[in-house]
Amino acid sequence: MAHRRLVSHLRRGSEWITHFQKPHFTGSFVIKQLPDQYVRTQRLLHTGQPAMMMKLLSVDELFAKRSLQEHLKKLEKEYKECLQAVTYSATEDECSDDEKKAKRTKVSQLAPLIQSIQELDKKQKEMTETEMLLKDDDAALRELAELERESCSQDIQHLRQKVLELLIPEEEADMSDLVLEVTAGVGGQEAMLFTAEVFEMYEGFAQYHGWSFDTLERTSSDLGGLRHASASISGPQSYKKMKFEAGVHRVQRVPKTERQGRMHTSTMTVAVLPQPTEISFTINPKDLRIETKRASGAGGQHVNTTDSAVRIVHLPTGVVAECQQERSQLKNREKAMKALRAKLYSMKLEEETSKRHNQRKVQIGTRGRSEKIRTYNYAQDRITDHRISMTVHDVKSFLLGEELLNEMNSSLQEFSNQETLIELLEDSHPQEL
Amino acid sequence: MWWRRTLSRSCRWCLGCRHSGAKRIWSFHYRALRSAPAVPAGRITALQALDIWKRHFEEEGVTEAEQSSQYIIAHLLGAKTIESVERQRLTEFLSKEKMEEVWQLCSRRLSRMPVQYIIEEWDFRDLTLKMRPPVFIPRPETEELVELVLTDLKSRSADTETRQTCLEVGCGSGAISLSLLKSLPQLEAFALDRSQDAVDLSRENALRLGLQDRLRVYHMDVIKDAERILGLFSSVSALVSNPPYLFSEDMASLEPEIFRFEDHAALDGGENGLTVIRQILTLASDFLLNSGRVYLEVDPRHPPLIQRWVEENVEGLQYVETQNDISGRPRFCILQKAVT
Repeated sequence: MAHRRLVSHLRRGSEWITHFQKPHFTGSFVIKQLPDQYVRTQRLLHTGQPAMMMKLLSVDELFAKRSLQEHLKKLEKEYKECLQAVTYSATEDECSDDEKKAKRTKVSQLAPLIQSIQELDKKQKEMTETEMLLKDDDAALRELAELERESCSQDIQHLRQKVLELLIPEEEADMSDLVLEVTAGVGGQEAMLFTAEVFEMYEGFAQYHGWSFDTLERTSSDLGGLRHASASISGPQSYKKMKFEAGVHRVQRVPKTERQGRMHTSTMTVAVLPQPTEISFTINPKDLRIETKRASGAGGQHVNTTDSAVRIVHLPTGVVAECQQERSQLKNREKAMKALRAKLYSMKLEEETSKRHNQRKVQIGTRGRSEKIRTYNYAQDRITDHRISMTVHDVKSFLLGEELLNEMNSSLQEFSNQETLIELLEDSHPQEL
Repeated sequence: MWWRRTLSRSCRWCLGCRHSGAKRIWSFHYRALRSAPAVPAGRITALQALDIWKRHFEEEGVTEAEQSSQYIIAHLLGAKTIESVERQRLTEFLSKEKMEEVWQLCSRRLSRMPVQYIIEEWDFRDLTLKMRPPVFIPRPETEELVELVLTDLKSRSADTETRQTCLEVGCGSGAISLSLLKSLPQLEAFALDRSQDAVDLSRENALRLGLQDRLRVYHMDVIKDAERILGLFSSVSALVSNPPYLFSEDMASLEPEIFRFEDHAALDGGENGLTVIRQILTLASDFLLNSGRVYLEVDPRHPPLIQRWVEENVEGLQYVETQNDISGRPRFCILQKAVT
């Protein structure tokens, strides 16, 4: 079982989940422009605490928790109250329009969850009845009951899984597409070569999931590595999965450039910026300065240039995006704009999140981009994710960005979901933890 | 003939360019004008070829030395930009044939032939168009003109039932009309150009993009064939043009890429750059539907002149507004036919 596969259980009194926090956004680039308290939060991450380790609970274990059962009851009660208020207050006119509207939203938000809870209750009653039949004297009936029980228990598993999924709130950015940025870190040419390999790995990962992968920017090194590159990725669940990839990736191997066969350790950084929709995030065109080769001189028919590179500066923040990937200047402008929007949007999210959570814990996905998340060790042919202490083997296949990367990515997501859930239960029933 | 004029300005290259075919001009330049660097005896990688040609272009005073070598070599490697070539391919050795192709195409650039003509294609918005001398190479500003027309036509199509049509004067490679057709599946377009080369290229591009059913291209001169044109078109929703708008006195200061290779008739707008523009505006209200619009790309000095001239000389046409290009220059004029 995937849930069971992992990891030693580390528990420090009641603090054991205190370094987890909801994933809001991932890695970024403008720490210097953030409020002081954010920088302090960042420093907290480097106090030498071991990477988070916790046991992944099975669905049954979660449902055995009293806090979960109580939480579900509480939600059901809330739903009924809201439903009643919405249905009957039309005549009684007890609450204001705003309240009614809020309650209506609540009802539609909770509806799918409540429906699943009710189905689950029904199935559980069926199960109890079937189990009674198992004690019946009639052998044929008992056999039938046995079959019935099996299908019932399967349905219950599915419904429980569904309830858990519905309990985890969607993050604002989860529905977005994203901009991926890779930057070479420590290790010179070798780090740049590794950066190019990681960038290609994510291109493979996008292909594996049927997402589109559109390179926005590329700065190559002399040996064919990458100093820096970015790409726009879009498709269902793309941000939701990719956000777990942000952070520092470390490679340990004998570089091609090494003559004496010594092993080197190099790093590269992945940042994953949610791409806001046009409607949810607007930029005032007056705040932009667009720079092109054609800006000086007469332009138009007077000039024929093949240099179609575009650089856009957001004047209030000084954030810059560039693109020279395309032969059409307009296309370059669109791509640079995409990258710029993503940068500005994650700055905004980062600021909001740091205000809300600066006293709280840290979880997968929210770590600063200076956090080392994964090591690729060629000598041992293994990849280890330090956040969940998970190791898989076969670096070459992993770098294809297919099954192996997906497996690790899914484990990260499972962990993250469970943390969110436990945090949710802790918030609503603090006494129990 | 345009090239005769250029010839008289002591531009000998054009003669070769127009009459002797690619191979021969190349060898002509190779021997008589500017020499290409020696073809390396051993094998070299794409990266090395890029470097050799970049440096050679710089030494020979060819503009955009780095971009030129990058675009040409990327093209020969089957990509649009060097950034999109797989990194591994750049460090691999070129085959003998590839290397010869690199040398052949890059040598053409020594004559200052535009890269777009050398690789015979360029991108305009989301289209890749065939390019061939002397047909005018579309500029990035015109991508913005298309954006402007598209936005306007889209908002206007909401309140009309009839099928929208547009007429383009001076279509060159077909960039404007084809982009509009690509983005508006209901649109039909007519295009005209005085040059047979342009008409042929527009048709060829339409065919390559599968848009030939909605585009009709006419070989006509908006000034000489005015009578015939008036009989052909009426009730079009939009009249679009990137007409020749350079002032004749500015022609001599153009870079060799433009002056030697592009059709002067597509550039030279007469003494104050307004010759073709005035003709288009004179005819416009006869072509257009009520409230139909004219969209023009012009020289930044033109908008106030055009506005005044229209107010004084053309009845039934109102000046709507001037729009700037992204560099902030007054570049586009929008006019509208009054309701009659």
